[in-house]
Amino acid sequence: MSAIETRTATAEPAVDEPAGVRLRDVRKTFSRRRRPGRPALDGVTLDVRPGEFLCLLGPSGCGKSTLLNIVAGFTEADSGEVLVGGRPVTGPGHDRGVLFQTPNLFPWLTTWQNVLYGPKARGALTPRVREEAERLLETVGLADARDAYPHELSGGMRHRAAFARVLVNRPGVLLMDEPFGALDAITRAAMQRFLLELWQKHRTTIVFVTHDVEEAALLGDRVCVLSAPPAGTKDVIDIELPRPRAYEDTETLAFVNAKRRIREVLER
Amino acid sequence: MTTTTEAPAAADASAGAPRSSRSWRRVWTGAGAIALALVVWEIAALVIGDAVTLPTVTETARTLAKYLGKPYPEVQGKTLVADALISTGRILAGFLLGTAAGLALGASMAGVRVIRELADPLIAIMRPLPPIAFIPLLVVWFGIGETSKIALIFFGVLPVVTVATLGALDAVPPDLLNASRSLGASQVRTMLHVRLRAAVPGVITGMRIAMGGAWTAIIAAEMIAATGGVGYLILQAGNYLQTPLIFSGIAEIAVLGFAFDGLLRLLLRLADPTVRR
Repeated sequence: MSAIETRTATAEPAVDEPAGVRLRDVRKTFSRRRRPGRPALDGVTLDVRPGEFLCLLGPSGCGKSTLLNIVAGFTEADSGEVLVGGRPVTGPGHDRGVLFQTPNLFPWLTTWQNVLYGPKARGALTPRVREEAERLLETVGLADARDAYPHELSGGMRHRAAFARVLVNRPGVLLMDEPFGALDAITRAAMQRFLLELWQKHRTTIVFVTHDVEEAALLGDRVCVLSAPPAGTKDVIDIELPRPRAYEDTETLAFVNAKRRIREVLER
Repeated sequence: MTTTTEAPAAADASAGAPRSSRSWRRVWTGAGAIALALVVWEIAALVIGDAVTLPTVTETARTLAKYLGKPYPEVQGKTLVADALISTGRILAGFLLGTAAGLALGASMAGVRVIRELADPLIAIMRPLPPIAFIPLLVVWFGIGETSKIALIFFGVLPVVTVATLGALDAVPPDLLNASRSLGASQVRTMLHVRLRAAVPGVITGMRIAMGGAWTAIIAAEMIAATGGVGYLILQAGNYLQTPLIFSGIAEIAVLGFAFDGLLRLLLRLADPTVRR
């Protein structure tokens, strides 16, 4: 009986409605063959409210990506509770859209085919989905590049295509693992601006991993600072900057104060 | 947004149908180089003035054209086309079998740790061995018929395709598979449509390398133990000092080798959009 329940739980899309994420005392140790393992997560407890933009901030290698992979269902936690939209995470699923550091588009598919990959793989490719995909390509500014292959796109365009590919599934949560980390500073600023605009239109829950204090302060409603490995939650800081935000807000005093508060927690 | 400036370039590149003037220039330069080599050959032949040492291009071409469909008398034989077909048949049979086995072995090595650990040392030992070292053994086992030739190609192609398949499957980034899974694709679908698909260009590149080796092996085998095929033709022509016929045989190998590689390159272009220009 319970097996059937979990199956329907993973098969049913939790679409449209922003979903919350609930983590309770999540632990993970990576074991290398027969040697004592290296603890990566040491009891992380965190709540992400539906529709919230939460940034996970911490030093490199502190386990923030591990935490995101656990929520995405790519790795399993050793212990603790991981709930997305009220349901335990048992594996990857399209109710959680994942954006990686590299766009990870399928190089043999055109932009259009990449965007339709998810619905097609699930047998959910309806005319309505095609319309949605077309609208999304319009939104991310790639309507003219729909028949181009990934290698013909610029770095920023590839990331925007990856956005469209994920959003067409209408995920309840977006999980982003330093998605702009590999971009040059100018493209990166453009992508942050793009993300702010997009999120202010489509309010989904976003968990955004970064090691950049400025990026965290600009994008997040709250910033969760993780301690050095093994990671636990150090503090969660509210960023009380008004929405809608724009890139120009980085020059205000309130923004500088927010950054200082984050930095103080980081250095604590 | 930034799109407006970037989009036209991408759209232009994706259209791709008319070849750019630059790539046409490359084709013409290449043709020019071949023509130049033929001219040098012709002049050298005229200077030497001895058809056994070096026949002229025109004489070679005449021999080639004449005996394409007509048996060559002194070499007890077959037509040039018949010999070419014999060699091609052997190559195709051995190459297809070897590729299929290499794909299966490489894929199972990539998927099952025990198979990888068992097969790794065997492949490592087998790979640097020149296949032609096995010709006498294969003749002892299978005689001088088709089986020994096909087995030779098979054992030459197998390790190359295996290693290429394994390498290509290992090189698929794990996040590409994660991306597929988190877009809602099942594990099986991800395996077939992403992992295997992403490895295809690497496998085809391995097949191209294996094809080169296959021609080397088959010509050698036909010279050592055979009663037909281009290698046998060249050896016989040499024994009878029929130099124009030697060159005709070599020309056949060149054309066939180029054609097979062209087919594989075409396959690669179909499989991998990044090599399309």
